[in-house]
Amino acid sequence: MKRLELGYVNIKDVQFADKSEVRDGVLYVNQEEIKAIVMEDETIKNVSFDIARPGESVRITPVKDVIEPRVKVEGPGGVFPGMLCKPETVGSGRTHVLRGCAVVTAGKIVGFQEGIIDMTGPGAKYTPFSKLNNFVMVIEPVDGLKQHEYEHAVRMAGFKVAAKLGELAKELTPDEVKVFETPNVKEGIEMYPNLPRVAYVQMLQSQGLLHDTYVYGVDAKRSLSSMIFPTETMDCAIVSGNCVSACDKNTTYHHQNNPVVADLFEQHGKTLNFVGVIITNENVYLADKQRSSDWAAKLAELLGVDGVIVSQEGFGNPDTDLIMNCVKIEKKGIKTTIITDEYAGQDGKSQSLADADPLATAVVTGGNANEVITLPKMDKVIGTLDYVDKIAGGHAGSLAADGTITAELQVITGATNELGFNCLSAR
Amino acid sequence: MSKIRIVHYINQFFAQKGGEEMAHIPAEKVAGKVGPGMALEEAFKGEAEIVATIICGDSYFNENLEKAQKEIIEMIKEEKPDMFIAGPAFNAGRYGVACGTIAEAVKNELNIPVLTGMYIENPGADMFKSKVYICPTKNSAAGMKDAVSKMAPLALKLAKGEAIGASCEDNYMPNGIRKNFFDVKRGSARAVDMLLAKLADKPFETEYPMPSFDRVAPHAAIKDLSKAKIAFVTSGGIVAKGNPDHIESSNASHFGKYCIEGINDFTPENSETAHGGYDPVYANADADRVIPLDVMREFVADGTVGALHEYYYSTVGNGTAVASAKKFGEAIAEDLKAAGVDGVILTST
Amino acid sequence: MKVITNNPLVKEWLENVIDVEYIDCSYREILVVVRDMVHKGTKLLTHPLAGSVKPNETPYRSVIVTKHQGKKMDMESLEIIENSIVTFDKFVQKDIVWVDEVLYDFQTVDAIIIRNAVYSAIQ
Repeated sequence: MKRLELGYVNIKDVQFADKSEVRDGVLYVNQEEIKAIVMEDETIKNVSFDIARPGESVRITPVKDVIEPRVKVEGPGGVFPGMLCKPETVGSGRTHVLRGCAVVTAGKIVGFQEGIIDMTGPGAKYTPFSKLNNFVMVIEPVDGLKQHEYEHAVRMAGFKVAAKLGELAKELTPDEVKVFETPNVKEGIEMYPNLPRVAYVQMLQSQGLLHDTYVYGVDAKRSLSSMIFPTETMDCAIVSGNCVSACDKNTTYHHQNNPVVADLFEQHGKTLNFVGVIITNENVYLADKQRSSDWAAKLAELLGVDGVIVSQEGFGNPDTDLIMNCVKIEKKGIKTTIITDEYAGQDGKSQSLADADPLATAVVTGGNANEVITLPKMDKVIGTLDYVDKIAGGHAGSLAADGTITAELQVITGATNELGFNCLSAR
Repeated sequence: MSKIRIVHYINQFFAQKGGEEMAHIPAEKVAGKVGPGMALEEAFKGEAEIVATIICGDSYFNENLEKAQKEIIEMIKEEKPDMFIAGPAFNAGRYGVACGTIAEAVKNELNIPVLTGMYIENPGADMFKSKVYICPTKNSAAGMKDAVSKMAPLALKLAKGEAIGASCEDNYMPNGIRKNFFDVKRGSARAVDMLLAKLADKPFETEYPMPSFDRVAPHAAIKDLSKAKIAFVTSGGIVAKGNPDHIESSNASHFGKYCIEGINDFTPENSETAHGGYDPVYANADADRVIPLDVMREFVADGTVGALHEYYYSTVGNGTAVASAKKFGEAIAEDLKAAGVDGVILTST
Repeated sequence: MKVITNNPLVKEWLENVIDVEYIDCSYREILVVVRDMVHKGTKLLTHPLAGSVKPNETPYRSVIVTKHQGKKMDMESLEIIENSIVTFDKFVQKDIVWVDEVLYDFQTVDAIIIRNAVYSAIQ
């Protein structure tokens, strides 16, 4: 039996202060202290901090990652295993969460860096991060730094700062504690003999540079499909290194708060028996796709599950992995539901996916990423608007002289999430 | 603000003029509301009124397609309406097709919003759901109340020029245009619900139906063509001279089976096409252009092909509902099997 | 195997490792060239939409295919390349003139993805 307690410490505001601490639901941050941590990396030239709160007229762009501060209180290992500490197996004991805030990293990693978070207005409805008190770090690299080195620097800075802020909650009494338990296969069958056995197949973005996901520090594209306990994801075992396709990339925050894991736990022991998580990748080499989807199906078969939910990350090429996973698992006699998003064109008339199969009878969609949205000017911009004309879903003239942006939903971080994080859908 | 002016179209049955025996009656216009128009107008709650009702027999409409449309459009035009509603037609096939046809014509020619309603399996649904807004209804007139409760609010929205939401929000049949909306539950919870329904063999609705590929696995190859019996099947509408089976020029309701024993070549004297929607001059002049009978006879004569089946089968593909085409195909296949046919050449236009 | 590409960086990095067919053309033209090859029996080894950079952003595209033509057309390859062209066409093309620095970023992303795939292939 794998058992993890999550203690939620509610954060209703973030403020700069002389001393970093959490007091009365407010996260106080000493900038100098955090700056020192970020500047340990000699590839970073400068970092600036800002705070964006729900409802403020603030636009953050270009967003790289969003991370929730967490800390391991009891049990083996630490948060961000394989990244910040030893790759010891996590997911048991107790972890504290600063709920209601996040560390947002921003910076122009490539010239077409994407991602907008609006804290108010029509855009705010589409991104879950408009509801959080965001501690934003805009990171500037030393001159001549290669893109992948810059990505690495920003990624690690985000984790280090999130872990540091998480530490502040280690000794606190949480506002709420939730317990998550996963029995092993034998226990599960004994405990819930009459419930359908369900697994979650999570596809991890692994196409290559700037499209990476790490599991215990291992680049997912170099790994065969594998299995983890759902609680391991809550201790940050899976983190994002993905900078591309803002609307349907899974940020680290999404992995920490994986909604499929949460909603399967919600039903666990009631209507179903949540058996575990199968992680598989989305490589570009067709033979890799073949192998990874074969293995995902094989693991589902080996677990003897009745049904699985398959989630996706990214655009285009991963559609093929999604359909391969779905079809191969269905052919094992295991029922599937898949979660994706759509690129049906601005008029909504085009074929939504780059691949399809009649066996995919149960599809949940995060919406059409090509749908056009108008984002009014915000009083303040954290980061830069230089690239809005050019990012995916934007176009020359997207950014009007009055600061209004007319672009596709694609530009908004997390808008059409393929883990099913949002209420957005399409018909 | 003045009331929204609506013209309503219904068939002979819903005008209480009679059933099939009265289906021949031509289009007429009466002032105000008739039959289902009463319930519709009540549901508009004073925001809109039905200023006139067009009543037309289903047979009259479908058999005098162009003439009937022209007459009806003129009648509607005189009323200067803001909106046009046809039906609901429930599962009445010809009525549904008429509703779709006239609604599309009004939309294109008078440039006003239009709406109709029918059962999802009504052939009119497949033909027109991507062209005009169609509310899905139950399969019989007993579902009138439900139909009105869907059609009236959508009609008002359309008439006022308000933004139309996703199909599931505003109760119309998915029309091939994907539209975003905020659902009540988040995607992952919807996925869990859907999986639980699927596991329990309960009905569930996918949010994105896969593009339909009705793929048929190909039959094993014919090993020796010189011993095989081959047949012709076409959706190109080639029929015996005079179209003895009255195959419709569009949305065919049946197929024909024609004997070609003793015929070595199609000529304008022995064949023609029933197909609408393309220029029939070349098909009528030489139907071998659609069914290559002449060449086939040569192949049989020189032994390349064993034999030619003595009948060929034909229907019109133009606007024919997929469900009908499927039925024809199954029936033709049974007949071919019974006749010991080994292979089929399918031609279209 | 060989790479069909319009990315000069792929040529620079990989031409000493595997066959590189460099064509000075658009993203879409690369897809069409590959489709024509598939018609003649070539098989795809990487997905033509590799990378989630949208096809109306990056001008660069590289696809790894088999070096030798098979005797038969590979249906799976054909479906993938045709679907990719359909997907490409639904993106509204933008008239942006990228600065060299951004072009280099696009080249690098494409080249690293393709290099990874080559590593995968030779493992």
